[in-house]
Amino acid sequence: MSKDGSAGFIPTTLEYAVKWAQKNSLWPFTFGTSCCGIELMSTLSGTYDLARFGAEVVRFSPRQADMLIVAGTITTKMSPVLRQVYDQMLEPKWVVAMGACSSSGGIFDTYSVLQGIDEIMPVDIYVPGCPPIPEGLIHAILKLQDVVQSGSDRPKMHRLTRAEANDAMSFRKGTDESLFDDSKPLRGQ
Amino acid sequence: MSKLTPKILAEQARIHGLLVEIYPGNRIDLDANAEAVLWVNSQKELVSAIKTLRTETGLQMDRLSDITAYDNIDGNDGPKRFIMVYQLYSMRFNVRVRLKLGLAENESVPTLTSFWRAANWLEREVYDMFGVKFEDHPDLRRIQMDERFVGHPLRKEYDIKDRQPFPDSLPVRIATRAPAIGQE
Amino acid sequence: MIKDIRTSLLEERQNLSDFYNPQVMINMGPSHPSMHGTLRVMCRVNGEVVEDATCEIGYLHRGIEKLGEAKTYHQWIVYTDRLNYCSALTNNIAYVMAVEDLLKLEVTERCQWIRVICMELSRIIDHLICIAINALDMGALTCFWYLYHWREEAYTIIEAMCGMRLTTSYSRIGGMSYDLPDNFDSMMNKFLKGLPKSIDDVEKLLSANRIWVDRTKDVGILTKDECLDFGLTGPVARASGVDFDLRRDRPYYTYPELDFEVVCGVNGDVYDRYLVRMEEIRQSAHILAQCVKKLPKGPLWVDDRLVKIPAKADVYNNMETLIHHFKIFMEGVDVPPGESYNCVEAPNGELGFYIVSRGGPKSWRTRVKPPSLLLFQSFEYSMKGAKIPDAVSILGSLNIIAGELDR
Repeated sequence: MSKDGSAGFIPTTLEYAVKWAQKNSLWPFTFGTSCCGIELMSTLSGTYDLARFGAEVVRFSPRQADMLIVAGTITTKMSPVLRQVYDQMLEPKWVVAMGACSSSGGIFDTYSVLQGIDEIMPVDIYVPGCPPIPEGLIHAILKLQDVVQSGSDRPKMHRLTRAEANDAMSFRKGTDESLFDDSKPLRGQ
Repeated sequence: MSKLTPKILAEQARIHGLLVEIYPGNRIDLDANAEAVLWVNSQKELVSAIKTLRTETGLQMDRLSDITAYDNIDGNDGPKRFIMVYQLYSMRFNVRVRLKLGLAENESVPTLTSFWRAANWLEREVYDMFGVKFEDHPDLRRIQMDERFVGHPLRKEYDIKDRQPFPDSLPVRIATRAPAIGQE
Repeated sequence: MIKDIRTSLLEERQNLSDFYNPQVMINMGPSHPSMHGTLRVMCRVNGEVVEDATCEIGYLHRGIEKLGEAKTYHQWIVYTDRLNYCSALTNNIAYVMAVEDLLKLEVTERCQWIRVICMELSRIIDHLICIAINALDMGALTCFWYLYHWREEAYTIIEAMCGMRLTTSYSRIGGMSYDLPDNFDSMMNKFLKGLPKSIDDVEKLLSANRIWVDRTKDVGILTKDECLDFGLTGPVARASGVDFDLRRDRPYYTYPELDFEVVCGVNGDVYDRYLVRMEEIRQSAHILAQCVKKLPKGPLWVDDRLVKIPAKADVYNNMETLIHHFKIFMEGVDVPPGESYNCVEAPNGELGFYIVSRGGPKSWRTRVKPPSLLLFQSFEYSMKGAKIPDAVSILGSLNIIAGELDR
């Protein structure tokens, strides 16, 4: 270690090499639900080959993948499934919210659609579009590669306090008391 | 309207005439496509109408196309709360007939599963979305929404943005509801 | 400590029959390794044979029908794309046809021909994706790449027509949003020249292939009566011998003037469905070639002031046209009270839109009659007695689109 505290030559090169390897071999777990799933398939097919960027091995097992691409609308019925898939993935893992529906609910502001998967998991890259064209997804993957290389921190999830949760669901107050039971911890805390 | 060929329009007119003959007392409308809409007055009449429509040689409505319902909360289509809509199709004459039945809030309808297996899921969806119960249905439970969901979404009093997360899918950050432009 | 666990566990076992029970519950969950979308099938399996199965849907229920009551007729065209997202143009056109019936509008000839072109093009791409995914599930990955190339070519044509590849929102009430591009003829001819060769290549790979035939022949047989009982239509019913095609039997638009054949199968197994879809692609290509020749010049929009969206040049330069444009989109088109049910021959089957209107710019009830719902219901029945790999083949051949199934 030198006098000003910066690390020497060998550790940084190793870190750089590891990150270079990680960014060029991001194996996707394609959680394709709806229309964005079709554009995801187009991206993986011959014309817009995602395999050139290292995403050759499309693994349908969360244990073997390190990039979760959520393509499509996630409903409240589907969200525990998605959360379980995310929990089963091993660190380091990155999440790409592809399309408007997984970024923010998209055009569906209805009674059954999750308004963005960042309600249930931290997201690294949001890809706008409905659906984003394959070039857009490739641009997002390249940006994700920059994120992997620079090693920036995972965006922090905003943890709600009980008061904020009560407030947000105020139209449901008084109907189902168990949801507002203070003796039970909030999910995720 | 004239996108249909003259042959089909002639068949539709014939079927309409035949229905007026068989059901002189019932209200028979014509919709925007000149298709016949037969209003039945009770659940028993519904079952007998289905039987007649299936077997009558001039009609032969042998395929069930759709079962749905709509909310008649403003009373425009009669005094009852829900209107059940059955779409039948005749593969022989290529003509559709629609059956409509008014239903009050707690009334139930006999199931058509014994006639067509297609009715099974279609009726489950009507139950899920409107709360209409079907008698003798082999498997009446929610199909689109979660089992623990409270309420029936397609009723007019159900707010479109009324999200019901459950404890195992409770979001950590719940999106605030922004009022729509022009919403009262 | 392990000894304590072992003794307590030994005490809990009542009898050995749980181990010797050959029945296993398998859940092919909503997230599964094929790109069919969010379908859940729970089966009780005895060895490799499925004894009983039940399906659960609703993992993509987005409330599109409720949105039909909250949005104006024009605003809802956007949601129709997301129903059967593999063939979005068909949904757009089928919905707009229902609204035009309520308004008693008859679209111009050029518009009718363009709509037929759109529907046949989307039929081709939907069948391409169905066969590609079916082959992919069974391991024939090459067909996926071959057929997907032609999907991309079709996407380029659709993008030239309306600006978007997948979620097109191309049709408008009374016309189409844009006219065809100038080089449409040459693009389409190039497409139609290359597509049949590729289809022949894929047929050479699959149709006489021992593995493919073994995996698809006599698998998932649905008889004619069962098809009628389940209310099935489309290629699946035609493969079972039900000679029914809305384009021929209840023709709409310019289909009476077109020369095409309705493809029927014999057995009703997965192999027949694959052959029916391949031949339907060829028939649709033939229809497209005729349409391109017969396409008339003329006005695209219907001549009704209350519905016709004014040209953009006028909107930007003329005050009255600007206000008119504003009124059509902000207040909505005033549709008279009534109801209409419009069915078209979508690539999956009979797609219907049932609109109940009480007057005003928004509908009272918009109902989508999805062919996929009835197809998936028959899947529960086809699964019984089939082996698990056969179940995968059958699911691929039914062409279930989750967007349409759940809405």
